[in-house]
Amino acid sequence: MKWATRAGVHIDRAACAWLIRRFIDAQAQFVFVGDPAAVPPDATAFDMRGVDLSHHGDDCSFETILRRYDLTDPVLWRIAEIVHEADLDDQRYDAPEAPGFDVALRGLSMVCTDEQTLAVTGPLFDGLYEYVKRGLLLGREPA
Amino acid sequence: MEHPPVAQLAPGQWVLLSYRMPREPSTPRIAVWRKLKQLGVAQISDGLVALPADARTREQLEWVAEEVTEAGGTAGIWLAQPATLAQERELAAAMAAARAEEYRKVTEEATALGGQLETDRLRGVRRLRAELHRIGRRDYFPPRERDLARAAVEHLVAASATPSKKRPVTQS
Repeated sequence: MKWATRAGVHIDRAACAWLIRRFIDAQAQFVFVGDPAAVPPDATAFDMRGVDLSHHGDDCSFETILRRYDLTDPVLWRIAEIVHEADLDDQRYDAPEAPGFDVALRGLSMVCTDEQTLAVTGPLFDGLYEYVKRGLLLGREPA
Repeated sequence: MEHPPVAQLAPGQWVLLSYRMPREPSTPRIAVWRKLKQLGVAQISDGLVALPADARTREQLEWVAEEVTEAGGTAGIWLAQPATLAQERELAAAMAAARAEEYRKVTEEATALGGQLETDRLRGVRRLRAELHRIGRRDYFPPRERDLARAAVEHLVAASATPSKKRPVTQS
C-alpha cells in the first residue's frame, strides 16, 4: 500500500512510518509531498492538515493512528507518550526521553533525505519498543 | 534583478494564522488561546497572529488552524513579509518584551530560592530549568533577561557544588 506524508520528516512522521510498517502494513511504501494537493490518489495520507490520520484535539498523529487501527499494545501507548511530548511538548505526559528524540530527529532532518531518516529511525524505534517492553514486563528500568 | 546584499536589510518571512471561532462553546476557544500562548505568537489584531516562518512554526500554526476548523471555526495560514523593517521590529520587540517578562519571573524565583535549604534549592533548580526550556522554545528574539535568568538559576547550582569557591557560570 502507498502512504503519503509531508516532506521534511520529524519525530511524529518518523514514528508513524515505523508504526505503519511494523504493525499495519509490512509492504508500506512512503511518498513525501510538499503540498497536500500532491498526494497520489491511491495513497493514504497521514500527519497532514485536513486528513483523518493526523492531529485531532490533543492527539498527535501517532496517537490518532493507534486509535484508528485499534492498536491497544501498552508498549505502543508508552511510545506514543514520548512521541507526543517530543512533537508537542505540552507537558501532558511525563516523558523525559522526549527532548533527546526531538533533538536527534531535528538533527537527522538536517543531514538526511526523508528516506534516509526513515532508514535510520526504523531500528531506533525497534530498539525503543524492546526497551519499553522489557521495562513494562520487569516493572522497572531494564538493564 | 539583484537581491539586496545583506539579508537583514529586508524584513523576513512570517507565518500568519487568521482565524474565527464561534463564541460558544468557550472550551475550544480557550484551548486554542492556550496553544497560541504556549507558541509565543505575536498578536497582530483580533484573530490574527504571527510567528517568524520556518518549517516548525508553520507546522505548529497549521495544527492550530486544524483545531479551529474542527471546532466549527474558519482558519487560514499565510506566508507574509512585513512591508517595512520598522513594522517587523515592532513585532519582534513585542515578542521579546513578553519573553523578558517570563524570564524576569524566573530570575525572581531563583533569587528567592537562594536563601532556602540545599534540597529545596536543587528541586527549584530542576523546575526552573524546565521553565527556562519551555520559554526558550517560544523565544525567537532573545532579550538580555534570558542570560540573567539562566545565570540566576545556574548560580544556585554553583553555590551548592562549591560552597567555598564559586564556579563561573557558563554563558551560551
